[in-house]
Amino acid sequence: MLEKLIVIKSETGLHARPAALIVKEAQKYRSKIALVKNDNEYSCKSIMNLLSSGARKDEEVLLRVSGEDEEAAFEALAKLLEGNLEA
Amino acid sequence: MINLFKREKDQWIFIYSPIMGKKMDITEVPDEVFSQKMVGDGVAIDPSEGRVTSPVEGEVIQIMDTKHAIVLKASNGIEMLIHIGIDTVKMKGEGFEVYTSPGDQVKVGDLLMTFELEKVREGAKSLVTPIVITNMEEITDLVKSMDEKDQWIMKAKIER
Repeated sequence: MLEKLIVIKSETGLHARPAALIVKEAQKYRSKIALVKNDNEYSCKSIMNLLSSGARKDEEVLLRVSGEDEEAAFEALAKLLEGNLEA
Repeated sequence: MINLFKREKDQWIFIYSPIMGKKMDITEVPDEVFSQKMVGDGVAIDPSEGRVTSPVEGEVIQIMDTKHAIVLKASNGIEMLIHIGIDTVKMKGEGFEVYTSPGDQVKVGDLLMTFELEKVREGAKSLVTPIVITNMEEITDLVKSMDEKDQWIMKAKIER
């Protein structure tokens, strides 16, 4: 299992566009990929889950990846989450 | 007696229009996140009034901080996002009013939000409001209605 604390940089938090981009990327991998906020785990493969997290700009969330392709998935998701999700 | 024990999964679940206005397919929404169904499949409304009511019986899951979008879970398991306008996230809640909270149980027609039509028309890219099913992987059948006479916009069957 790989974990990393990530600060949400998206100006408006995890709204529809960033969430859609995260899900699109996460679905390429078999690993379990989730964001953890306030001890709640939100699957990165579900738009509904990500929107439910209500993660805001500058908020810290934990990226948690586990599974057979976890290294590739972790690298890709971390890069995406730390980048500009508004594009 | 024949249909008395009809299985739930074989029944259509109706999703009613949450806003008065012109119906259009999700593929016509001027934002590829929606038109390419990245969020899910659905129907959009070009609103003629700024009043959003619940399209289903269910629970309010989340309301975006910026008050322009709401996530609902119908009691039958269908999950959906109502996203008022396009690029409305940039308006930071200005012109929007919310009348419900996460955890609230709602019925069809209950008032969820209002917004100032003219303000959103000026402040956002478009007023077009997608209503999107976000758990399409559980939906086994989906029919949309573009007929203005129908009060429903979609009917779906869900795998249970």
